[in-house]
Amino acid sequence: MDIATGMTAEEGLIRRAQAGDRVAFSELVAGQYDLIYRFALKFSGRIEDAEDIAQQACIKLAQSIGRFRFESALSTWLYTLVLSCARDWEKSQSKHRFPDSPLDDPHTVDTADEKIVYLGQVLDRIDAMGDGFREAIVLVVGEGMSHAEAATILAVKESTVSWRVHEVRRRLGELAAEDTDER
Amino acid sequence: MNDSELKRLFDSADEKPPGDLARSRAQNAALDAFDTARLSVGDQGNHDEPRLTPEITEARRKMMVPTQRWIYSGMASAAVVILGVALWVVQRPVAERDAGPLEITLPPQILSSPPPGNDNEQHALMDAKAEDAARSAARAAAESRQAEEIFATVKTAKRAGEDYTSAMFTPSLAAAPQAYDQPTAPYYEVSGRDEFEHVAPNAVRLAQEEPVSTFSVDVDTASYSFVRRQLNRGVLPQKDAVRLEEMVNYFPYDYTAPSDADEPFKANIAVMESPWHPGNKLVHIGIKGYDIAPAEQPRSNLVLLLDVSGSMNSPDKLPLVKQSMNLLLGELRPEDTVAIVVYAGAAGTVLEPTKVSDKAKILSALDGLSAGGSTAGGEGIRAAYRLAKSSFVKDGVNRVILATDGDFNVGITDSEELKGFVERERESGVFLSVLGFGEGNLNDRLMQALAQNGNGIAAYIDTLAEAQKVLVDEATSSLFPIAKDVKIQVEFNPATVREYRLLGYETRMLNREDFNNDAVDAGDIGAGHTVTAIYEITPAAAKSGLIDPKRYGREATSEQNLHEYGFVKIRYKLPREDASRLISQPIDVDTSSSGVLMREARFAAAVAGFAQLLKGGQYTGSWTMDDAIALAQANRGEDAYGYRAQFIQLIRRAKMAESMASPR
Repeated sequence: MDIATGMTAEEGLIRRAQAGDRVAFSELVAGQYDLIYRFALKFSGRIEDAEDIAQQACIKLAQSIGRFRFESALSTWLYTLVLSCARDWEKSQSKHRFPDSPLDDPHTVDTADEKIVYLGQVLDRIDAMGDGFREAIVLVVGEGMSHAEAATILAVKESTVSWRVHEVRRRLGELAAEDTDER
Repeated sequence: MNDSELKRLFDSADEKPPGDLARSRAQNAALDAFDTARLSVGDQGNHDEPRLTPEITEARRKMMVPTQRWIYSGMASAAVVILGVALWVVQRPVAERDAGPLEITLPPQILSSPPPGNDNEQHALMDAKAEDAARSAARAAAESRQAEEIFATVKTAKRAGEDYTSAMFTPSLAAAPQAYDQPTAPYYEVSGRDEFEHVAPNAVRLAQEEPVSTFSVDVDTASYSFVRRQLNRGVLPQKDAVRLEEMVNYFPYDYTAPSDADEPFKANIAVMESPWHPGNKLVHIGIKGYDIAPAEQPRSNLVLLLDVSGSMNSPDKLPLVKQSMNLLLGELRPEDTVAIVVYAGAAGTVLEPTKVSDKAKILSALDGLSAGGSTAGGEGIRAAYRLAKSSFVKDGVNRVILATDGDFNVGITDSEELKGFVERERESGVFLSVLGFGEGNLNDRLMQALAQNGNGIAAYIDTLAEAQKVLVDEATSSLFPIAKDVKIQVEFNPATVREYRLLGYETRMLNREDFNNDAVDAGDIGAGHTVTAIYEITPAAAKSGLIDPKRYGREATSEQNLHEYGFVKIRYKLPREDASRLISQPIDVDTSSSGVLMREARFAAAVAGFAQLLKGGQYTGSWTMDDAIALAQANRGEDAYGYRAQFIQLIRRAKMAESMASPR
């Protein structure tokens, strides 16, 4: 906190970027890229998609930074931004997710890359459960948010988030049981 | 799976830091967008190019899908404001948006960042595909190197002493070894997403029942290059990728040319025995367009619309696009103008219309291009047409040349809307040609549709040698149309012809009544183009037909004109006329053709036969690839550019791929 202005360093950076300061904006993007990318990766479960989504989100950040009103934390605002980029991206790709491909055996998965491939497979399953499930689970389990925080970002009721998270847990449990039976 | 397992899985995403290359690309793209946004929003008095294109897109999509609105509905934050601003941009009068000077923005130089291959996690990421990627990167590098060497020799000999020759090659030669040494470099690679339209081959018709066959000419050659690329890597092409007429029309034929631009082409008709079906005959209709002498070359106003999205980051894409555009520059005259529009995450003008005499400026703009972001082809097209109209040359050639690897991911995603746009713009005199690059993601159907609706050609460029063919050797025909809406109608004489079948042109068939309807669009012919159509006919007396005679009702045949198989009519419009003209010529039963024409007809038959074999050989009986080789070999002719020799090699490769594909 800068004592003279009463602003956090982050707020100062944003205000300078909003005023058109290129260096400040560059610094801001550099500082937030990791958060943006990681969230994109948790949402998409695919490295190459996450890179593209993160890039789109950075472009969007550049275009809309001027309208950030400090009414929420920057990270909350970024989550909504990445989420909307991710949805657009998936729509534009018209790529099919394949919920039917068999899950890898979790016990053979150990490198970070394999885990991400496995994460992608699990996300495919969750996505196949219906709209909104994947987003809720990523925010709550992946990002450790409270149901209320997730509800704000997703613009739905808190109870909806709770129900979605509960459903995903229940159905994933069933799926895991089925997979074990098949083996 | 329980919660903590799921949590651990998500945590694995945190363990993996983002790749440096992706990071720097994203940051550069963001800075670029930042500069752009600042220019267009910060200074509202200065109405430059509407640079907020992604937001326009955004708003458009939200409006089209009302169910998506809820995303924003609960938020008091900026997203709502974005929508508001975007609408403001959309609603600004077009004239206002178009006014004012154009700005020049060079995209960030991503290719000049440190070699991507050092990236450890990228290495790990590509592990699964490593072998594959390595092989293809090496192959692509080798291919482009090889082509480059061939071409360098040709070109240096041709233009020794011109200083830009060396400038042309430096970047690509520097890039090639990098790709070679670092095979795991994260070049974008997708496979199996090439889209081709499935069209059933034309069926055999009874001349008695349906004597008239009508189609539009097609001078595209994209299919041949695509097939060649597949075969060169030892794979048989998808059947739908093989379009017979495009394979036949890939080759220049030595037809008699017309001598004057007022009757811009001449039909060369030959009749020969069918190589694959004894008793049948092939009727060969070869058309050659009037060739413009270099002195008559009209002034050109070209807008290059280049795809620089992330998927173009592969040695056979953006670098090849740049080299190809360099080649094209060499064919233009100093007073011609070139402009460059790129599209990726955002569409932008890289170079406003610039005289070719200022070659250094154009080259440096080209060199500054780098790949990154997704594809907003729709917005790019709008910007390109706007530029083309801003420097419109009356009585000249006004053309947008689109170079892409296929998909238009963002923007006007609806291909019908895109086609409609291109078609409307055609009325303004700006035509569109489409050059396809790379593979794995090629949206052939959309490319074809755009080029057809935009009065242009669609070509597929897989090597620099192919770029040389399309953009240099055939520059005049690719660029300067001598006739438009060229339609062919053949009426067969039921007294002499029992059955007939048109080889290829399935996607170009027209209704009988369309022939005389000048409002129906058809293909164009450029200067010096040759177009070949082949019919396989069963003469009335022959026993080689496929359709049994009817049991009931005698087939009435008039005993007239027993010396004619049929009658060919060609309708065309001169480039700047709207009323069509007609040429006609009978097909005589005892057509006697010159030795040269027979040779050309036989070679075309070899290509047509080969294409049919690739499509499954429904009508070719026991005719084999070896027969195709023999027929092509015997009729190679002069083959100044070596295309025909290459074709024979290609059949051999197909033979090998075929034997490997079917061990059963």
